[in-house]
Amino acid sequence: MTATIDSSTTTKATTDTAVRELDPIELAVMASRMEAIVREMTNTVILTARSSVIGLARDMSCSILTPDCELIAAAEGLPIHIYASTLQARSMHRQHPNFAEGDAYLHNDPYDGGTHPADHAIIVPVFWDGVHRATVVVTCHQADVGNALPTTYMAGAKDVYEEGALIFPCVKVQSEYEENQDIINMCRRRIRVPEIWYGDHTAAVGAARVGEKRLKEYFDQYGSAQVENFVDAWFDYSERRTRQAIRSGYSSGEVTVEAGHDPVGDLLPEGINVKATYVIDAERGSITVDQTDNPDCLDAGLNLTEATATMGTMQGIFNCLDDVPLNSGTLRCVDVVLRENCAFGIPVHPHSASCATAPTVDILVNMAQYAFAQLGSGMAEGNWSNSAGAGVVSGTDPRHGGRDYVDQVFLMGGGGPGTPTSDGLTYYLIPPGAGLLYRDSVEIDEQRIPFLVQSMRVLEDTAGAGEFRGGPATEVVYGPRLNEMTVINITNGQRRVPRGVHGGGDSTVGINEKVDAEGAVDVQPAFMQLTLEPGEVVRAVDQGGGGYGYPLDRDPKRVLGDVEEHFVSVEAAESVYGVVITGSVLDDTLAVNTDATVARRAAMRDAG
Amino acid sequence: MYRVSADVGGTFTDVVIADDQGTLTLGKALTTPERSYRGFRAGLENAAESLGVSADEVLRGCNVLIYGTTRSTNAIVEGKVAKTAFLTTAGFPNILHYRQGGKEGVFDLSNDPIPPYVPRKYTFEIPERINAEGGVERELDEAAVADTIERLRALQIEAIAVCLLWSTVNNHHEERVAALLESALPDVPYTLSSRLNPIIREYPRASSTCIDASLKPLMQAHLRDLDSDLQAAGFGGQLFVSASTGGVMHADEIIERPILSVKSGPAMAPLASLAYSREEDTGDDIIVCDTGGTTFDVSLVRSGAVKYSRETWLRGKWVGHNLGMSTVDVRSIGAGGGSIAWVDQGGLLRVGPQSAGSVPGPACYGRGGTDATVTDAAVALGFIDPDQFLGGRMQLDVAAADTAVDRLAEQLGMRRDDTALGIIKLANEQMISAIREVTVNDGINPRDSIIVAGGGAAGLNILPIAEALGCRRVLVPRTAGGLSACGAHYSDIVMDFAASCYARSNDFDFASVNKTLAHLRSSASAFGRDLAKHDIDSFELSVFAEARYVGQQWEIEIPLDVPGDLDEGDIGGIVSTFHDTHQRLYSVTEPNSEVECINWKVRITAPLPSPAATTIETQLDEGQRRSTSAYFGGSGRQDAAVYFGAQLAPGAVVDGPAIIEEPTTTIVVYPGHAATLTSHGHYLLDTGSASSGTDLTNSNEEAS
Repeated sequence: MTATIDSSTTTKATTDTAVRELDPIELAVMASRMEAIVREMTNTVILTARSSVIGLARDMSCSILTPDCELIAAAEGLPIHIYASTLQARSMHRQHPNFAEGDAYLHNDPYDGGTHPADHAIIVPVFWDGVHRATVVVTCHQADVGNALPTTYMAGAKDVYEEGALIFPCVKVQSEYEENQDIINMCRRRIRVPEIWYGDHTAAVGAARVGEKRLKEYFDQYGSAQVENFVDAWFDYSERRTRQAIRSGYSSGEVTVEAGHDPVGDLLPEGINVKATYVIDAERGSITVDQTDNPDCLDAGLNLTEATATMGTMQGIFNCLDDVPLNSGTLRCVDVVLRENCAFGIPVHPHSASCATAPTVDILVNMAQYAFAQLGSGMAEGNWSNSAGAGVVSGTDPRHGGRDYVDQVFLMGGGGPGTPTSDGLTYYLIPPGAGLLYRDSVEIDEQRIPFLVQSMRVLEDTAGAGEFRGGPATEVVYGPRLNEMTVINITNGQRRVPRGVHGGGDSTVGINEKVDAEGAVDVQPAFMQLTLEPGEVVRAVDQGGGGYGYPLDRDPKRVLGDVEEHFVSVEAAESVYGVVITGSVLDDTLAVNTDATVARRAAMRDAG
Repeated sequence: MYRVSADVGGTFTDVVIADDQGTLTLGKALTTPERSYRGFRAGLENAAESLGVSADEVLRGCNVLIYGTTRSTNAIVEGKVAKTAFLTTAGFPNILHYRQGGKEGVFDLSNDPIPPYVPRKYTFEIPERINAEGGVERELDEAAVADTIERLRALQIEAIAVCLLWSTVNNHHEERVAALLESALPDVPYTLSSRLNPIIREYPRASSTCIDASLKPLMQAHLRDLDSDLQAAGFGGQLFVSASTGGVMHADEIIERPILSVKSGPAMAPLASLAYSREEDTGDDIIVCDTGGTTFDVSLVRSGAVKYSRETWLRGKWVGHNLGMSTVDVRSIGAGGGSIAWVDQGGLLRVGPQSAGSVPGPACYGRGGTDATVTDAAVALGFIDPDQFLGGRMQLDVAAADTAVDRLAEQLGMRRDDTALGIIKLANEQMISAIREVTVNDGINPRDSIIVAGGGAAGLNILPIAEALGCRRVLVPRTAGGLSACGAHYSDIVMDFAASCYARSNDFDFASVNKTLAHLRSSASAFGRDLAKHDIDSFELSVFAEARYVGQQWEIEIPLDVPGDLDEGDIGGIVSTFHDTHQRLYSVTEPNSEVECINWKVRITAPLPSPAATTIETQLDEGQRRSTSAYFGGSGRQDAAVYFGAQLAPGAVVDGPAIIEEPTTTIVVYPGHAATLTSHGHYLLDTGSASSGTDLTNSNEEAS
């Protein structure tokens, strides 16, 4: 069966005849006020959450939807969360057709629209004047969801039973604004460090209620007819802008791109090959992506979900378009074709989608950017090594009476892709994080977790070279101080590297390894379950981003800056960029030898 | 006797003279960056002239001079600070590069990362490590420090920042490095993070340390030059400098901690606003708006107290440089008279973030600008009299403004007037969002506050903004054009002393916390006693904790009403203050959750005398000067009465549509709104009932 994800099927077909009293100014005003509501919800979650994964790293998102589940506003939310929210709201309509004011629903069902089970979405229908007018969704990545192991990424799980997550297929957690204590109790019994989970749950529900209150005020101000006009016009505008961005940046064409995931031990001894075909119709300003020719669901926790398989690809595409808003008007322009029972499509119960937000979705984002570079400018690929710098750590803390801890740390860097106008970010993290996530403070982490971070630094010559280079890779070294600590992590990128485009170079491989007190090194597999004793550390290296354009076209001043910043060595400046550097960093005399550089570059160009 | 304040901006220097009666007189001149005294002197002469005295007389008769400058802010933004070295714990050379992560724009990867505040080539790793409890994991390698110092010497480093991990709980390594620096490089200024800003989180602490050190040589020279120029001119009073704490400091203190001068100008505006609001008896809950040529600054006063923040960024939130200090919370957005309007690919009109700046400036400046800006829209609408701009000192080109707006009108298929009004509305909207963000995030309903509006462009659109926010009243002070410079006259000496010390409400480490507080109090009191040599004898201390529910990620600041050591009996009060504050900010509390305190702060405030409220002389009421045709939306242009502020009598009520021209600002009174000139010479604007009047807020646009 083929599932076509095209949101235009559920909006009015009569976009051209829609009511249009709103002029472009009122449109902008109403949109800006809608975004402001999402921002307020987001701030509420960040400032009141408990786990570092939400409060420090901001692995959370808020969105506002129409009554028929179209996305109106999402501010700086994570695209995969945001897209999932549209599917999860539909789930509320199906599962609870009589939903009422004061209800709140908990949804993390990967088989019915969720991202992955660790992302708990709170869905609240908003009523005004007695009628359902909008739905708000707050999605937070929980630090623990009751999995069989203390991690939210159960890569090794054969199925959802081995995975062990509590699945909530749109379960009512509030009626008439009162909590359903049974659900809370159930979670308290099955989720590790329950007070953290409950604090985060409360933060999410609180934020949804803030959104509800503000939306009611919005309707008070404008009235429902005006809001409906606005929504139609806003979608039309966004669609127009996106189609124009496609037309102005790309010509019609088709390309098939392949990429993949490294082997994962016995789970996936061959790794996974991924394939997708991208078709641009520049005249219509539309894009179709076929992802159906991919493996069936895997007996591992690496299957994607409908939301992540769709938005992973869309995110890569939108990264390559000039300044598009994220709402259903924009989504109309891209059609991602999936099939059921497919690892890069729609999962079938009981296949596990525990890791559906990383690392396989990284592949889709990168592939789309790579594909668009074949059809126009596009951009390079970014880091897809979710190193142990972003691992889930757990254990007990002797400093606080041996209390349990489970938390994902966000200490990795991750090089962003080189683009047609800029070098890659150094704290891109992984593609779905898109540089939006915050990094942890080492001091705050060491206060929360009885471990010591020994170092965290950028590594030289790891970025894909280019006229615009990728961001460099980061190395993080940490280990327990007082007692044993478990680190669990799943990553791609130990063999496959982010690719450069338009002549840009590739990045380097990522590494996770255990180093014991004597310095003996034990290289870890893609799916890592490691117990460290005091004196032992994990050394985690992520990847740089791919480069954009020929390194020989890079402005020599930028290369000099890279050398001074220890991103590029003097040797690589010459051998890769053809830039001859003289002097020494020791006495601050580094400089470009212009004549030698011209000659060196000419020679390198001649040599092809 | 006079008191004089100066606000030296990038373009203009504002000088305000307060006389014995408390009357404030504003003068303006162009800033002279190479020697700031010249610009100050010109501004002083401009103001003195209005008073009918000479600048020398004012200076000789001046007992207090308060100097505010954007010198340090501009030096940071332009990268023109000292050649600074950053000494960091071994293993962490890229703290300034990683920052805290995050960026604006979900799909926007098109901008180059901003380089770290101190480049890697001047960053040095110091072998040492302290852990979260203050224990030493690795002893300080003094030989390595000595080697580094020799490198610093060879590199001719001009300033040094030292920020080691966990120096907040154990400062011995930092202090030892300081001792080695002092003996080996006695002439190179340095900053220690544990002295400047001992708060947990390595990035903001390191950032503040590096910014501070980098400003030391510059601000030292700048303030010493100023001091000697002033003395040469016969000034014999005390020289104070505005600080981002919202207070003022002696020049010597700013030379020691120059980071306090960064963003200090906007930090003064809330104080002037509070003073004016009290004069008019309009309350202690104030939204302060300051509209300049390129930025719109919002800050808050709540129950008479200025709001503070530790998230003040230069060159962009998340991607730029975090000041990391507790400063007056001033939210700046890139929206001002110079913001450029454009039409995007989807056919939507947008305003900013690009700005025409002062060169080429708006099209109507006639300096080669062709893009339509907010100022051009105001000219096209008839709001700004081209002959009276800046008190008639600058002639505006109306035709150029019309042409610029017409180009957009054509793309939009709209009339010129509607397009111009649209530009104003969208600029309004950005300002409304900024105000909402500041107020709502602090649990404040804008309806309960008064807006005090300052800045040259404030009067153009403050009424529709107030109306959209549901604020009924707006105060535009007579000296609106120099809100920051005026604010300095109402400021006290303010200095913060902070430290980290962990304590949990159900397991409270009284010994450590009391030790920390005692240390902070004694530092603050020593600072206070030192003021006596400047004849300032009284000061008070206030104590704050930064606390959170156990396990939360971000702290909120709560006041502690405790004069001495904390004991068991105080915990209940701390916890209930925390619950109340949390409830106000986030509309939710967790009554069963314990509270953990992370940072502690003692603020010393030493009051300085403020100008008394004055009344203006009864002036000749010459009434309406002329009328103009202006567009406010709806069916067509309307006749609007134009008044000169100086020709209105106290108590005069001006009903909209009307325009009031003041030498440093223009107030547009929209249809349905009214302005009253108060006996203190300020304008109190009233939006009337929220449902009537203008459509400029876009609420219930008539279905035409």
